[in-house]
Amino acid sequence: MQTIKTNNNHFVVVHPLDDVPETKVDMEALGPMPMTRSVRLSLLSLRAYLVLMVMLVVYHVVMLAR
Amino acid sequence: MIDKAIAMPAPGVDAEVMPARGRVVKSKWTRDLLTFLMVFGPGLIVMVADNDAGAVSTYSQAGAQYGTHLLWVVLLLLPVTYFIQEMVVRLGIATGKGHAAMIYQRFGKWWGLFSLLDLELVNFLTLVTEFAAINLALSKMGIDPRYGVPLAAAGLVFIVLSGSYRRWERTVVFLCLLDFAWFFIAFRLGPPMGQMVHGALIPSMPAGGITPELMFLVIAIVGTTIAPWQLFFQQSCIADKRLRFADVKWARLDTFLGACITITAALCIMIAGAASHAHGFRFTDPAQLAADVGTYAGPWVRNAILLMMINAAVLGTTAISLSSAWAYGEVRGWPHSLQLPWREAPGFYLLYLLSVAAAAAIVLIPRAPLQLIILGVQVLAGVMLPSAIIFLQLLLNDRELLGEFSNKPWNNWVNWTIIIVLFVLSLILAAQVAAPNLFPSPAGGPTT
Repeated sequence: MQTIKTNNNHFVVVHPLDDVPETKVDMEALGPMPMTRSVRLSLLSLRAYLVLMVMLVVYHVVMLAR
Repeated sequence: MIDKAIAMPAPGVDAEVMPARGRVVKSKWTRDLLTFLMVFGPGLIVMVADNDAGAVSTYSQAGAQYGTHLLWVVLLLLPVTYFIQEMVVRLGIATGKGHAAMIYQRFGKWWGLFSLLDLELVNFLTLVTEFAAINLALSKMGIDPRYGVPLAAAGLVFIVLSGSYRRWERTVVFLCLLDFAWFFIAFRLGPPMGQMVHGALIPSMPAGGITPELMFLVIAIVGTTIAPWQLFFQQSCIADKRLRFADVKWARLDTFLGACITITAALCIMIAGAASHAHGFRFTDPAQLAADVGTYAGPWVRNAILLMMINAAVLGTTAISLSSAWAYGEVRGWPHSLQLPWREAPGFYLLYLLSVAAAAAIVLIPRAPLQLIILGVQVLAGVMLPSAIIFLQLLLNDRELLGEFSNKPWNNWVNWTIIIVLFVLSLILAAQVAAPNLFPSPAGGPTT
């Protein structure tokens, strides 16, 4: 309800915070996203890569600090 | 401004609910302008806050070491940064939820907690670098950081405690507009216009070709221009501001203008660095650069650069701390809005306060390993960015969630290209820092 046309010559512009809240998608009702096995495996590999890289960086920083 | 009573529908009747307040205008042009000004904010703030202390340091170093040769790299990042944040705009408006909440609910608790942990860790370390820059700039200005840093931290807490999103946004937009000072600094210091245009539009390599040092700096430029906290910040900001479906085009324009301003400011910072390069100064940090160029450009240029350093750090701190507090509040289910007074959202404000206070305190510890923290932040952010964008990409292809707001095929082509490039760069960056001898410099010495 961004603008409300009151008549042919006038418009009412409303700030989002003053406007009536819109109904958005119901996240609770949707639940978790269905993922194929390949997507799940890709995300797990990504996580493993991240954990490994973070450990590598921490090790390097600790060695530099000595 | 007019006030309208909210017309409550009778039970069971779908009557139109009128907004409580609105502004009457007569022309469509004025309506569009006013609507844009009301929607304007999150896009500008996320982009300008991205030019934080680390960014000022990286851009000025790039200019100081390579003159105007790397201007084109920054210009190339304009569409990249816009494309990524535009996806966040659609996601935020379509769902009205923050990014952390979205990952938590759509990918499950395990992924949600991992993403949150990554974000909180990198954000906190980045905050330390922001206060390190404030410390450095205050010292160069002759102000004792033992008083200046706590004062800056108190100011940063004060601007969020008003219980009004609009008050916080106006204050921060004002600070963002101060970034225009970089234009005057660059104009005062800049090399001839032809050289700047050439450096920005025609890709060229500095003398010496591609070296590990050059690669490191290019990756740092990419890493500092696109950061994981930006995804979380803008989406939470849009949710907190309650942007509506009809606001999408104005929010896109806001984001695009923000991207243009921040990239232009980045070019100006690099030009300031190039000016010190042209006068033969050796770069150590942006505060020293300010002192160096001040010797020939005058004290106002020196003080302007130091003040802009502080402004960049302040903007970065408020945005990054808020992205942490919003994300944590979303995942824990705490009240988390700048619209709420602190009594009604104590956890949200406490987390913001603790982030700011702890980062400020670390900087004041004598002999704290700040350089190591800065190095670690750059690498961690670079390593984590592709993973954060992959979650974003998966969410943007979730038609069940986004419907008409989901990605089109061309969006996916562009975004996967960006993800692959970022992934390769993050791998090179991580390898270069974690194992410096892997990429020996031409002289055979270490590269970082």
